[in-house]
Amino acid sequence: MLTPKPMSRMLIVASRDQAEPIIRELYREHLFHIEDYVEQGYEGFRIGTPLLGATEASQELVKVRAIENVFAIRGEDIDAKQKLSAPAIQKKIESELPGIEKEVEDLTTARSKLDTKTKEYEQKIAELAPFKGIPLDLALLRNYAHFSVLAGYVPKEVALSIPHEIETVKGKDRAFVIVVVAAKDRAQAERELQEAQFQSVAIPDEIGTATVRTAYYTEQIASLKKETEGINAKLAKIKESHADLLVACEEAFRARIEQTEAPLRFATSSKVFVAEGFVPADHAADLSAALDTVTGGKVFVSEQQVDPAHEIVPVEYNNPEFAKPAQLLMDVYSRPTYTEVDPTLVLSIMFPIFFGLIVGDVGYGLLMLALCLGLWMFMKGDEARQFVKILRNASIMSIIFGLLFSEFLGFELPWAPIIYSRHLNIGVTEAGGHGAAIAQLLIVSVWVGILYVTLGRALGMINHARQDHGEHRIKAVLANLGWITVMWGILIAIWSMFPIPLMPDLTGLPIVAVGLSVGIVIAIVFIVLGVIFIARDAVLEIIEIPTIISHVLSYTRLTAVGLSSVAIAMVVNYMSIGMFITPGLKDLSIVGIVMIVVGVLIFLLGHAFNLALGLLDGGLHSIRLHYVEFFTKFYKGGGRKYNPFGMKRKFTED
Amino acid sequence: MADVNMTLDMVQASQVGMKAIGAGLAVGLTGVGTGVAEMGIGAAAVGAIAENKDFFGLGLLFTVIPETIVIFGLVIALLLLF
Repeated sequence: MLTPKPMSRMLIVASRDQAEPIIRELYREHLFHIEDYVEQGYEGFRIGTPLLGATEASQELVKVRAIENVFAIRGEDIDAKQKLSAPAIQKKIESELPGIEKEVEDLTTARSKLDTKTKEYEQKIAELAPFKGIPLDLALLRNYAHFSVLAGYVPKEVALSIPHEIETVKGKDRAFVIVVVAAKDRAQAERELQEAQFQSVAIPDEIGTATVRTAYYTEQIASLKKETEGINAKLAKIKESHADLLVACEEAFRARIEQTEAPLRFATSSKVFVAEGFVPADHAADLSAALDTVTGGKVFVSEQQVDPAHEIVPVEYNNPEFAKPAQLLMDVYSRPTYTEVDPTLVLSIMFPIFFGLIVGDVGYGLLMLALCLGLWMFMKGDEARQFVKILRNASIMSIIFGLLFSEFLGFELPWAPIIYSRHLNIGVTEAGGHGAAIAQLLIVSVWVGILYVTLGRALGMINHARQDHGEHRIKAVLANLGWITVMWGILIAIWSMFPIPLMPDLTGLPIVAVGLSVGIVIAIVFIVLGVIFIARDAVLEIIEIPTIISHVLSYTRLTAVGLSSVAIAMVVNYMSIGMFITPGLKDLSIVGIVMIVVGVLIFLLGHAFNLALGLLDGGLHSIRLHYVEFFTKFYKGGGRKYNPFGMKRKFTED
Repeated sequence: MADVNMTLDMVQASQVGMKAIGAGLAVGLTGVGTGVAEMGIGAAAVGAIAENKDFFGLGLLFTVIPETIVIFGLVIALLLLF
């Protein structure tokens, strides 16, 4: 907790003939983060070559993926019914897979042939379209020795100076013409037609009238479509019965490829190979023992302490189960480095609370919970599920705060608010009513800000103490302390001058010198001390001091955004019920019923809009209060992800 | 504001109105400020997301950073009105 998982550096050396069992074991354990070997690291060592079978496995994988593409299936969308054991999947790969591959390939080839044919026929229909108005056999328009036939569109009527026959079909804004001239006059006719903006159309190579031929092709297309549908049905059947096998095969091939290609990441000489990497410290002994077993002791494994100052250690989160979803939010910002404080725990607890404070409505909370349920059914991926869990926690906190604030879609629940009220006087005409305790709510959120900024700086002190060295370390730690003292100095000064509800009242403290009270003197000491500490580390930081105030006040958004959401909900209620439904119910004529319908529509749309806003506001503002106002005080991130060699198997077993 | 011809009710009513105008200005002007600030960030963020979709989360976050300005306006408006 609060620090990443401790890691050990591991060095595995063995002769090359042991590579296969070692790689298989490493893959099965899914613990070893391989450090890729760069050439010229050690003398006499080169990058290794893949094990036998890498090429075949890649080819098979490409084929399986091609079929999966045809069916549009993805492993992550499919729930594993049972895990196939390694011999079982091997048997299926040998016996069933080639048959499926062949069948699918044949079917898709046939289907694409049909598609090509359909396109061809459609093209012919398009070519025939202009001739539909001509009741002549198309064969009569071709193959004359002494005549030329020209067909095409003209914008207006044409008159030719040479002897000719013309047939015109009038269209909307242009006319289709067929002109027959003597073969010797063809050039002249073309020239004159050109002047009349003639667009030539090729005469289709068909026998029969255009209408008859079009009907024939349409019929053909229909029968082709039927055939395609038959093929699609067959494919769908294959998909249904073999989807599980296909994803399992993909997984098996992927595992095989990753294993056969692993030596590409190892340093290899003519006799031995060396694999370097990182292992979680608590698993290092187990892994080393397991490697010893599979090779019969023919392996040298050495575990070393990591040295974070000189190497980049991969980082794996070390959080209790309930905090795991928040790791997703951490990764959006940046993964912590190995020596840094990991604030996931704080985030996982406080993010839902902030969200709840902002939304704080039983109705919206329940709707969000229902949304989570829907998303859970729909989204199958690991990350997506974590995201839904975050949303679920946030919704539950919204319901809890809704009960405390006594809010249900902007209405009041049958009890008075248990903590401060957020009920605004919207649509309330009679006097009385408690109204919202805005000042108190704002001060509570300022307190949250004060504590957060203090915590952030305290964590900053820890981080600098851990990561820095020598003189700079003391300066950096003191600078963070300086930020804390400046902030509390400012606070004490304010408390000594103005009485503020819910905060200590220091105005009554005795005056010591030149009209200054004890509080003010302490405040001045705190501020001056703090500024000195900050300036000793970095003088330019002094100009950042006003951010103390703006960051603390930034937390007032917990109240402000929440109140704006309450205001929207209440306005929606007032508009729909107060202005439409109640008057409509009083007078149940047609107008009254229309008013009720409009009122219900406003109610639904308004609350849907406010729910979307609440999700966006609640989520974004809660997370930015952490990212911007909290993390900037201590957190740098930029850690490398721990990515162990191996795979989380879903459909197959080793 | 207070004219000799105004009654006490009118003065009070105009004070309430002035408060409302002030609250409106606080939210409206800070909203404009936030908008101007988010304009540049938003454009850059969309560009970055077009290059790399993984940037979406961070881009969205950067875009809402100037939201603080309008939140301050909202706080002032709430304090004025209630």
